[in-house]
Amino acid sequence: MTRVRLLMSAAAIAVALGLWFALTAPPDRLQGEYSRLINIHVPSLWLAFLAFAVTAFGSVLWLVRKSHRWDRLAAASAEVGVLFTGIGLFTGMVWGQAVWGTPWDWQDPRLMSTAVMFFVYLGYLALRNAIDDPLVRARRSAILGVVAVVQVPLVYFSVNMFRTLHQTQSFRPDGSTMPREMVVAMLINLAAFTVLYVALMAARLEMARLEDAASPQVGLAGDAVRPPRLSEVEDV
Amino acid sequence: MSDTLVVVGTFLISYGLIVGYAVYLHLRRRRIET
Repeated sequence: MTRVRLLMSAAAIAVALGLWFALTAPPDRLQGEYSRLINIHVPSLWLAFLAFAVTAFGSVLWLVRKSHRWDRLAAASAEVGVLFTGIGLFTGMVWGQAVWGTPWDWQDPRLMSTAVMFFVYLGYLALRNAIDDPLVRARRSAILGVVAVVQVPLVYFSVNMFRTLHQTQSFRPDGSTMPREMVVAMLINLAAFTVLYVALMAARLEMARLEDAASPQVGLAGDAVRPPRLSEVEDV
Repeated sequence: MSDTLVVVGTFLISYGLIVGYAVYLHLRRRRIET
């Protein structure tokens, strides 16, 4: 069994276990069945934060070492992060419709900062697709990858810094505002999604490595441009 | 009952997106290998 298949199998088992805990944990007295969404909403956004932090890490290392593997790591992680930010936004909107009576509030700092983060990283992926030269692509996306990660703490602490419709963190160092069974289910899902991230990253990196090996290697930017040979220039 | 359906549907769509992405990676990898 290959490494990717082994990781995917482990992720499938972990996510199935997490789903079982999510569906069997006691529902909230006020929110009812909708409270179960915490088991996918929170882990998705935790994973998005982790993914964008890894993108920044890969970007910094590319800028320092100029090794192609760090660029691949940054790109792969951003792609996975965008997927999970999208899932986090979607599940949040379903949850918001049920408990707030609206799926979206355009004045809510947490919702808006998350949406901006989603579109910035979509832009990161678009930027990568728009540039053919590997070196130029890696440099420009590395700069964006480092700058864009500023949004992660902004999104996370937006509920503490501003008055928002979105609640503050339910799980804090000084304790939890949730019953123990719900906390256990959420933590199991956080762990399961982390395993899922590792598995998806392994598959995405393997694919990128094969893609690079299959495509003709381009060296430094401007390699194809040669200085004119003055001896070949005829006088006019 | 409808609340349960909405919640189960949300889980299904979310996990469906994740599985879809994993399948996409698998198919793209197979296309590169052949």
